Amino acid sequence: MLEALMDSAYIKSLPFLYEGLKLTLLITIVGLFLGFILGAFTGLGRLSKNGFIRGISTIFVEVVRGTPILVQVLFIYFGISEDLIGVNISGLTAAIIAITINAGAYIAEIVRGAVHSIDKGQYEAGRAVGLTERQTMRYIIWPQAFKRMIPPLGNQFIISLKDTSLFSVIAVGELVYQGRQYYNATFEVFETLVMVCIIYLMITIPTSVILRRVERKLDV
Amino acid sequence: MITVKDLHKSFGDLEVLKGINAEVKESEVVCVIGPSGSGKSTFLRCINLLEDITSGEVTIDQDVINDPKTNINQVRSQVGMVFQHFNLFPHKTVLENITIGPVKVKGMKEEAAKEIALQLLEKVGLSDKADAYPESLSGGQKQRAAIARSLAMEPKVMLFDEPTSALDPELVGDVLEVMKDLAREGMTMVVVTHEMGFAREVGDRVMFMDEGVVMEEGDPQQIFEDPQNPRTQEFLSKIL
Ligand SMILES: Nc1ncnc2c1ncn2[C@@H]1O[C@H](COP(=O)(O)OP(=O)(O)OP(=O)(O)O)[C@@H](O)[C@H]1O
Ligand SMILES: [Mg+2]
Repeated sequence: MLEALMDSAYIKSLPFLYEGLKLTLLITIVGLFLGFILGAFTGLGRLSKNGFIRGISTIFVEVVRGTPILVQVLFIYFGISEDLIGVNISGLTAAIIAITINAGAYIAEIVRGAVHSIDKGQYEAGRAVGLTERQTMRYIIWPQAFKRMIPPLGNQFIISLKDTSLFSVIAVGELVYQGRQYYNATFEVFETLVMVCIIYLMITIPTSVILRRVERKLDV
Repeated sequence: MITVKDLHKSFGDLEVLKGINAEVKESEVVCVIGPSGSGKSTFLRCINLLEDITSGEVTIDQDVINDPKTNINQVRSQVGMVFQHFNLFPHKTVLENITIGPVKVKGMKEEAAKEIALQLLEKVGLSDKADAYPESLSGGQKQRAAIARSLAMEPKVMLFDEPTSALDPELVGDVLEVMKDLAREGMTMVVVTHEMGFAREVGDRVMFMDEGVVMEEGDPQQIFEDPQNPRTQEFLSKIL
């Protein structure tokens, strides 16, 4: 019985899937990090007094949120890099750009919502003390808003993590791609997919649990 | 010290201030009273440019504050403002609430700012709360901390917008006491308030505002005991 298990795809696929998991995490973490920077700028841009900045930010957010991420990555990989500029970027680069842009748009909304939710009196008190607009944002509004961003950012992590599975279409060797490679060779489709799911859940479930704790602690 | 000339303020089509003229002398305590929606808060907020002024002129110590050439942040750091809902920074301790202005605006050293903050906390009776966070304070303590925060900038003028109306009645006294001390020390103050006792005792002058204009002003005795304007009479009869 144990021998049969050890010999099955449940176990034997693991080294393969592990390689995929590394890429999945790399794309998610780097993409989210860059996406947060992009989202912070765009989110604040949507609250800007400058109509031009506000317009650009809004268009970016609406276009990205209104189109499927699969189309976005195809655009980045084939449409823009090969067709338009004629340079080839690696699938991994395309995947990271796609997550950056896609998560960036959603994070922009998270940032905008969190900053917007801070009582206007906080801004006024900062200004009344003599802080500049920038200082008020940096020392008063942002730290309070950031706390409120943590739960939705955690949520976005889970979403982006799952979104990376789409990058198997451009042959990025992430978790799902590796799984498909494995079962195409061994025909052990069911066993492999079970393992793929388990690996995703081993990341997403603890993340949710931690998030819920943090949420309760922050009381937001 | 403060001169307001023909101050108008509109929000879109709604004209809230319709030509206010006022003068506040150094060390004077002016109390502003009037019905809800008459523009009292807006008036105060125009004095430190939390609202931009539609037309007219506000001068503080010879500086026309709504002149585009004036450094607004400079002006604001000289005008303290105390809000009805305190607006303390919840993510900072009481001490940090007080030091942030001197440190970030005036470039003061942390240590020096801390020393000033501790002195101010003693003055408002909150020495033991320096390291507490605002959420753990009572309303009255919050407001006293907020007053200390404003004082840390060494303002020439303090503006108070109904500083006690969000407080439980038994907490009002401590805050008024702090304000009385300030007045005694010669602080120039403009106080929007419903505390007629305070206006009578501490106020050098009372301004009655209604519908965006100053309907009547005079010394507290006269306004409360012998109001001339029928609107003042009506307002006072409702609240006294
Ligand atoms: N930001 C704003 N946008 C639009 N209208 C405003 C704004 N702020 C104030 N108003 C309006 O201006 C009028 C005067 O408001 P203000 O807050 O100055 O009155 P107030 O005398 O302080 O009243 P209260 O005693 O209720 O505090 C009100 O009709 C109010 O609705
Ligand atoms: Mg008001």
